[in-house]
Amino acid sequence: MKNETHYPRSTTPVLRAIALVSLVFVISVVLSGCSSIGVQPWERDIMAKRDMQPITHPMIVSVDDHIYFSKEASTGGKSASGGGCGCN
Amino acid sequence: MQLDSKKHKGIASALSLITAGLFAATGAQAQINDDPVTTSPQPASSSVQSGTDFNDDTYTDEGLIRVDAAILVYQEDGGRVQAIEPVVGITYNFEDDSSLSLKFTADILTGASPYGATPWQDTQTLFNPPSTGASGSTGAVSTSDVPPDVLPLATGFSDQRYSVDAAYKTPWGESNTLSVSAGISRETDYKSFYGNVGYAHEFNQKNTTLSLSANVEYDISSPRGGHPTPLSISDGTTFNLENDHKTIFGGLIGISQIMNRRWLAQLNYNVSTSSGYQTDPYRIISVVDPVTGGPVRYLNEARPRSRLRQSVYFGNKIALWDTVTDLSARVYRDDWGVNSLTLKLATRVPVTNRFYVKPGVRYYAQSQADFFNYYLLDGQVTPQFASPDARLDKFSAVTGSLMAGYKTSRTGEIYARITRYEPTGKTSTANAPGYLSGRDLFSGTASTSMIVGYTYAFK
Repeated sequence: MKNETHYPRSTTPVLRAIALVSLVFVISVVLSGCSSIGVQPWERDIMAKRDMQPITHPMIVSVDDHIYFSKEASTGGKSASGGGCGCN
Repeated sequence: MQLDSKKHKGIASALSLITAGLFAATGAQAQINDDPVTTSPQPASSSVQSGTDFNDDTYTDEGLIRVDAAILVYQEDGGRVQAIEPVVGITYNFEDDSSLSLKFTADILTGASPYGATPWQDTQTLFNPPSTGASGSTGAVSTSDVPPDVLPLATGFSDQRYSVDAAYKTPWGESNTLSVSAGISRETDYKSFYGNVGYAHEFNQKNTTLSLSANVEYDISSPRGGHPTPLSISDGTTFNLENDHKTIFGGLIGISQIMNRRWLAQLNYNVSTSSGYQTDPYRIISVVDPVTGGPVRYLNEARPRSRLRQSVYFGNKIALWDTVTDLSARVYRDDWGVNSLTLKLATRVPVTNRFYVKPGVRYYAQSQADFFNYYLLDGQVTPQFASPDARLDKFSAVTGSLMAGYKTSRTGEIYARITRYEPTGKTSTANAPGYLSGRDLFSGTASTSMIVGYTYAFK
């Protein structure tokens, strides 16, 4: 009954590449105690800018989450919240 | 959800007016007091006191009240769904770095939505959802004639959604933050209650932040016409009118790291499990003749009652020269067989000390769910689950956006963003029978959205 056509999961190599990058990132962070990762307190000038905060426009994040939740199968990742809508 | 009630239209209009009023009120205040931070007893820097250096954007909202108001207009191509969504939020930032925020959202939806049936060379007659609610009496059954050679769309539906969200965040000790949030969302045939608790710990000279959070959601589904028996024939029958439910438990563990003076990185793992009613009660699937591809009958779709979702998110903020770039990737998979990849890139480019633009692009690709089918073949065994929902189909989508913002004061900004979403499904379905062979059966659609917002903080 299922459609006979099988489509290659072409995203798999990309997923593996991202998983590898993520692993490298985690290892980098774990090793940060003995490396140059991070900044001194007096080097936070750029990091203190509002544009460098993870979320600068919460309303846009809110409507984007809602739109993509209603159009795609995937959700989550950036935060654990979500849902609240019967649109998917 | 495909509904035709218009009883909340007045409330929707009122909320729109409130939003417009808030825009006007906050705008007026911005003109009266162009630099409210100068009245703060603890300005972040001397340039804050001057109130003229809009590039020195390092102030915090501590001790300020921030108001956010935005309105989204969303339109799908081909006269499909149109949405107007006003959002209003207010955040009280206390002197001890704790904050309390409230947000109100309204969604006004109109337009047309796919039934789920495949096109056919002759007119098709499809049953509409009965006009009763879970607590109502049985209403009249109605049908719609679908013209030949077009994707069957249920036209003329409208629905409204209203939600209220509250969040509280407070420091705990020297390097910890606790947060809690809760919300309620209500549609004509759907209610949702959700909450979240979070904990964040800073260490490594505040270069590293470990975040943990857990969320729970309880949804009540009360579709018009009740919950159809899975894969039963769609003939206008009113089914079980009892409410059905869905419960979601989720968790997130994340780590954010200041990599260097110009690079902030974040890595999250998110998992959630949902159990309960997850079928679209209004969607049908065609059972077609294996030779001609013509419709023989229509069944109500059916989906599993449990779903396990997992995702890994890797986000970055990178400052180069005067620009700030957002670069992120997300990989997702669930036990319905959907795997997806999301890539996002957006760069904020200052044009003047008040005005900036932010072009962005997003790429998304997903595989199809195990039980996704455009149609079922007559004469074959009916599967346990089947859905023709485009959101469970294999497709990719590219989103392009352009945002612009203008600082009306040190703590105020008006912004607008236009976004175009272009999905691409399979261009043809190989091995499809008769009429359906070689046809593009993907029912996803492109859309354009525009959001205009204003944010302002004052003492």
